[in-house]
Amino acid sequence: MLSFIVRRILASILTLVVASFIMYILTAYSGDPLMDLRGSNAPNAQLLIGQRIERLNLDVPPPLRFFGWLAGAAGCLTPFTPCDLGTDLNYTAVTQLLPNAAAATVRLVSAATILAIIFGIITGIVSALRQYSAFDLGMTFVSFLLYSLPSFLAAVLLKEFVAIDFNNWISSGDSSIGFIPTLVVALIVGAIMQALVAGSARNRVIAFAISGGATFGLLYFLDAIDWFQNPGLGWGGILLLIVGIVVGVTAVLAGFGNRRALLGAGIAGVLAYAAFFALQGLFAISTIWTIGILGLATLAVCFVIGWVIGGPDRGQVIRVTMLVGFLSSLLVVADRYLQSWPAYLASPRINNRPIATVGEQTVGLSGDMWLMGLDTFTHFLLPTISLTLISFAGYTRYARAGLLEVMNQDYIRTARAKGLSERVVITRHAFRNMLIPITTIVAADIGVLLGGALITERVFAISGMGALFNISLNRVDVNPVMGYFIVIAITAILFNFLADLSYALLDPRVRVK
Amino acid sequence: MTNTAISDAEVGQSQARLIFRRFVTNKTAMVSFVLLIAIFGFSISAIGLGPIPGWWHYNFYAPMPTADEGRPTLSIIPEWLGGSGISLGDHPFGQTRIGVDYFAATMRGVQNSFVVIVLLAGVATVLGTVVGAIAGYYRGWVDAILMRITDVFIVIPTIVVGAVVGRMTGGLGVSFLAIALGLVAWMGIARLVRAEFLSLREREFVEAARVAGASDARIIFKHILPNAMGVVIVAASLIAAAAILLETALSYLGYGIHAPERSLGLLVSENQSAFSTRPWLFWYPAFFTVAPALLINFIGDGLRDAFDPRQKRFSIRRTKELPETTEQRS
Amino acid sequence: MTHMMRRRGRALAGLAIGTAAMVALAGCTTTTPEPGASGDSGEATTGGTISIAQTNAVTALTSATPDANLNTNGMVDYLMGNATGPGSMFYVDSEFNVVPDETNATVELVSEDPLVVTYTLDPEAVWSDGTAMSTTDMLLSWAIGSGWFDDATYAEDGTVAEGNQYFQLAGSTTGLDTTEFPEIDAEAGTLTLTYGEPYVDWNLVNLIGKPAHVFAEQAGFESVEALATFLEETPAGDPEAPAEANEQLTALAELWNTGYNITSMPTDESLLVSAGMWVPKDFQADDGGFISFEPNPEWRGENQPTFDELIIRFIGDPNAQITALQNGEVDIIEPQPSADTLAAIEAFGGTLIQGSQLSYDHLDLTMNSEVFSDPAVREAFLLTIPRQQILDSIVTPVQADAEVLNSQMFVTNQPQYADAIASNGYSDFAEPDIERATELLAGATPTVSILYNINNPNRVDAFQLIQASAAEAGFVVEDAGSADWGSLLGSGSYDASIFGWISSGVGYAGLPQIWQTGGGGNYNGYSNAEVDALVDESQTIIGDEARIDEIMVEMDGLTRQDFYGLPLFQVPGLVATNGTVDGVVYNGGQTGAIWNTWEWSLVG
Repeated sequence: MLSFIVRRILASILTLVVASFIMYILTAYSGDPLMDLRGSNAPNAQLLIGQRIERLNLDVPPPLRFFGWLAGAAGCLTPFTPCDLGTDLNYTAVTQLLPNAAAATVRLVSAATILAIIFGIITGIVSALRQYSAFDLGMTFVSFLLYSLPSFLAAVLLKEFVAIDFNNWISSGDSSIGFIPTLVVALIVGAIMQALVAGSARNRVIAFAISGGATFGLLYFLDAIDWFQNPGLGWGGILLLIVGIVVGVTAVLAGFGNRRALLGAGIAGVLAYAAFFALQGLFAISTIWTIGILGLATLAVCFVIGWVIGGPDRGQVIRVTMLVGFLSSLLVVADRYLQSWPAYLASPRINNRPIATVGEQTVGLSGDMWLMGLDTFTHFLLPTISLTLISFAGYTRYARAGLLEVMNQDYIRTARAKGLSERVVITRHAFRNMLIPITTIVAADIGVLLGGALITERVFAISGMGALFNISLNRVDVNPVMGYFIVIAITAILFNFLADLSYALLDPRVRVK
Repeated sequence: MTNTAISDAEVGQSQARLIFRRFVTNKTAMVSFVLLIAIFGFSISAIGLGPIPGWWHYNFYAPMPTADEGRPTLSIIPEWLGGSGISLGDHPFGQTRIGVDYFAATMRGVQNSFVVIVLLAGVATVLGTVVGAIAGYYRGWVDAILMRITDVFIVIPTIVVGAVVGRMTGGLGVSFLAIALGLVAWMGIARLVRAEFLSLREREFVEAARVAGASDARIIFKHILPNAMGVVIVAASLIAAAAILLETALSYLGYGIHAPERSLGLLVSENQSAFSTRPWLFWYPAFFTVAPALLINFIGDGLRDAFDPRQKRFSIRRTKELPETTEQRS
Repeated sequence: MTHMMRRRGRALAGLAIGTAAMVALAGCTTTTPEPGASGDSGEATTGGTISIAQTNAVTALTSATPDANLNTNGMVDYLMGNATGPGSMFYVDSEFNVVPDETNATVELVSEDPLVVTYTLDPEAVWSDGTAMSTTDMLLSWAIGSGWFDDATYAEDGTVAEGNQYFQLAGSTTGLDTTEFPEIDAEAGTLTLTYGEPYVDWNLVNLIGKPAHVFAEQAGFESVEALATFLEETPAGDPEAPAEANEQLTALAELWNTGYNITSMPTDESLLVSAGMWVPKDFQADDGGFISFEPNPEWRGENQPTFDELIIRFIGDPNAQITALQNGEVDIIEPQPSADTLAAIEAFGGTLIQGSQLSYDHLDLTMNSEVFSDPAVREAFLLTIPRQQILDSIVTPVQADAEVLNSQMFVTNQPQYADAIASNGYSDFAEPDIERATELLAGATPTVSILYNINNPNRVDAFQLIQASAAEAGFVVEDAGSADWGSLLGSGSYDASIFGWISSGVGYAGLPQIWQTGGGGNYNGYSNAEVDALVDESQTIIGDEARIDEIMVEMDGLTRQDFYGLPLFQVPGLVATNGTVDGVVYNGGQTGAIWNTWEWSLVG
């Protein structure tokens, strides 16, 4: 194992150095770093040109200059030597520029990756289980459409139609959705639900009627109580949703036959519901760390509960209990965020136009963690969606194909032959094996997403690494471009490495050597 | 190529014929294929190619006086529905602010998309196949070196190296840009082809050819490659779709094709500010960017099904939940 | 037994973890809940926030060093009264008048020959941290701007060959370099400069810049007085006999050269000390970031801001700026106007404030190129330029009353423009005269390559229109456009170029750059002895602006006779608000819309 890691690291460093060399040469020869000064009619332009040549060693041919850069960059590997990635054309050290930029990009890309994986895999599984159903065909079309949609186009459309229109609606003061839109939404939900329920025409009609009717009723009700101005789940909403989580999680992961799992899930649900009432006072003075500790405490408590009542299938009960506890407390926290929504809307800096189209925060807004959290949410919502769309389609296709492939394997037939229920076959046998190829895709996808951030950051004016790269490449400013590249390349290599390791974890046939 | 899906009717036909038959019976893929050809044929015939004139009476660069503030004259609502009849008019897609015919400009953009698809995907596919074939066939140090090189290129996200390459070659014209981008987009195919070769070279028919005295080149190109064509063709179709998006994205960022040459990405980004005022300047190129990419994806899907029919239909058993005891033993 | 033990051990561990968690929980809460917590507390009593979008991000709290010479940094200078703007000695208004600001100091011309100027500090003049201003502040600004201590000699490529250059400047030392060491009366707060040679732009010398007490502290001087003594006692630099680098000067220069460059909000508050109306409050670097300002608590000027926070947001994508304006995320934007931009802003009820920028696009012919060395060919080519058509396609949709620009020296919003076009003769080329051009060519079909910026749609469109029109007279126009056009200027690889000059609006020291033989900005090899003589004369005139104007009108006419090229159009400008801010006035100069923040007020 150790020798595997060491060999991998050495190979990666070599790869990185060669790739850096190529990148350096390409960037250096892509234009003239003195262009802005040559076009300048400042009286001392010549002096400035001389100064830039001297300070950035522009008189040294790029292939040689690269080694100077490499020597400085090598210092970053050990904590004892100075880390020198050079300076940009304004003589600001790249090591100073990178951290802030990287933080914004990481926030964006990690949120998008997680969302894309979760939604992509769920959609893919459902598509595969309902192969050639209307839902499957619809999702196939949607995912191909997303494949074919340039990301800037998606971003522009999101801005125009989601941000502006939603804000106009919220700030118009007339909070009503109106009869027609409510009906349309209800019809769409009904259509999706009936497509999911494969089966007789009668079943479909029933599914359509029930889900459509429920949606219509719910929206109508929410509209009537001005929910969209004063959102929140309330004690009733929380109760309903927690019950839903308890039932849903137990059904999918353990089955109702497993009474102990149901009991554990139930206890976790009750605890979360009690916490909803008990913690409101603490929430009012919370910081992000409080919530973190509470979260860990929740998981720990759920683990103990699961462990105690686990019985013969302890692992499963623990999983169910912890998942229920996690999701339910997430609900409680989400509700607290929703409670801050009216205050956020009313803030003069927001002025009833919550969904932002540029930047990462509302400048000068101050408030507690809930308010600031909402602010971050409204700023990152659209960029995250537009970035998620890029990889969502991919995950859907791969998850669908993966599950279809797995379901035709002999071991699935064996599992069925043993008399296992279809739920167990899918969640325990198929799902795990389906994940194996997906890990590789995740690793490859990180590079694509980081690349996609180039455009997303530009359209949404986020000061991330993509923006740094763009501006620097335009000025033929080699050092920041290289700084960007190093971060991207190391991330890509790291994720590939992790993918290999998780491969070994998920697939017992693979042993790292 | 495991042939788990061969039905009785297919027995006795050659592999290629089988695949071809499967492809042409795939309605979605065939319709997409026809539409794609139609779009490119339309764009080429409309404004001509090189010295050959097209049937459209304007070109994509000459300024003209603007009529009706450059509004599009295309009308598709028939008179009996209250519209002004189905007609193209003088400038169906409108005009730019200096009066260039926007239909011609858009068609030029479509042509350039086509050039990008063919050249970029072509270069990447050929290069990737050759590298992958050599690495997979010879194994050993040849493989090690080639795969290290692949690793080097795969570390750099395509759009990043594309931006740099685009900045260098964008001004030189579409063909240069497409070829240069192709030179940095071959890694995926190389890996796939290598994997295919690694398994195929161990098969009996390769051994037989070798015993019969066939040269390496002959074995690679005449024996193994035809069997790996499925992987190559499917991957090529994916690259073709990605090529359109790559060129569009680069032009949007300003690293790709430059005016007065036309690219769909350039038209969209130039006219983004016209979104709410002269929407046609935005939507026509946007449509012609998405449509070919979408069609190619459907074609690619059809090809995949044709080459690899393993993802056949399976049926979910509807079972009742079993008693607790059974499950806990699982 | 062991079972019991293990169980008890676990219980204990659980208890310990629980206790630790409680302690941590208590430690991780905010001690007092923020009242209201919605950010609306305290907002009602104050004037609120106004935010404006800019394309380039701020990189420094100065724009006077070469590293920091960016327009947005210049706005920071203007707001902080750093050698420009209220709080310093003068500012330039939207009509390009130099407006003296006597809040902190007054300027007096004592004598024209020799040129002597006296600067007097107001007795109550004060920095934003409460420190009183002193003559040392002015002395330091002079020392930096004049290069007094530099003893460097420069190689041909502009690098320092020998000696030391301490303070790096984005501008040049021209003018101040001829002054003697100032006479200072610290008691009276006066500083007097005597110039060795007449300097045409003497009234643009601004000696309130960065605070001397901050420099004194950062460079390790005991007091401001110690710094003053040091500056007085250190001998002037002599390039003939370069000395060892002076440590204290180097320390001062380090703060000046790089100390004000910022990548995040500086923790050192002395860097924020301002002479102007505004003091930096918060900052986030790069595209998507912002810099915010709060009013200077010590500000004593006549004009007072009516709101309590000014934010400059950096949004690189022009279309994103428009959406942000529509969405209320910024209140003011300064986009490049296009018909679509105008219509889009109008469509959502924004306010448009239009004007003309100080820059103009022009077509220059390379005088020494093969094809254009013949004046007849130059004239023929100029006769084919469809200037009205270019204007109609590019500017008229934005500015209905726009006219073709007919002067190389002045732009339409300068009062001298009318005089210039009356006599310079550029109006002869109002409309293309293909017939006459064909006649001049006498059947020849010269090939002309034109350089322009392919990333600027205006230039691309102008090129296409020129190409089509010139072809009618028999010219073959080749596309030499490039994204790297700036580096190709003056390279001789093209026959004509379309690009823009940005005039500063005030001052005449730039004239030799463009028009004199061998000038740094004379990219097309223009050389006319008469023009050279006029330029030389212009640089020595003190206080007689009428004579300078005469000279420039004359030069305008001479360039016309030489078929130098054609001015095409003045670039239209635009400021737009979303209707929440009153008092915004268009300013075509480099400061942009923020020039009159004291007149801004929030509506409703």
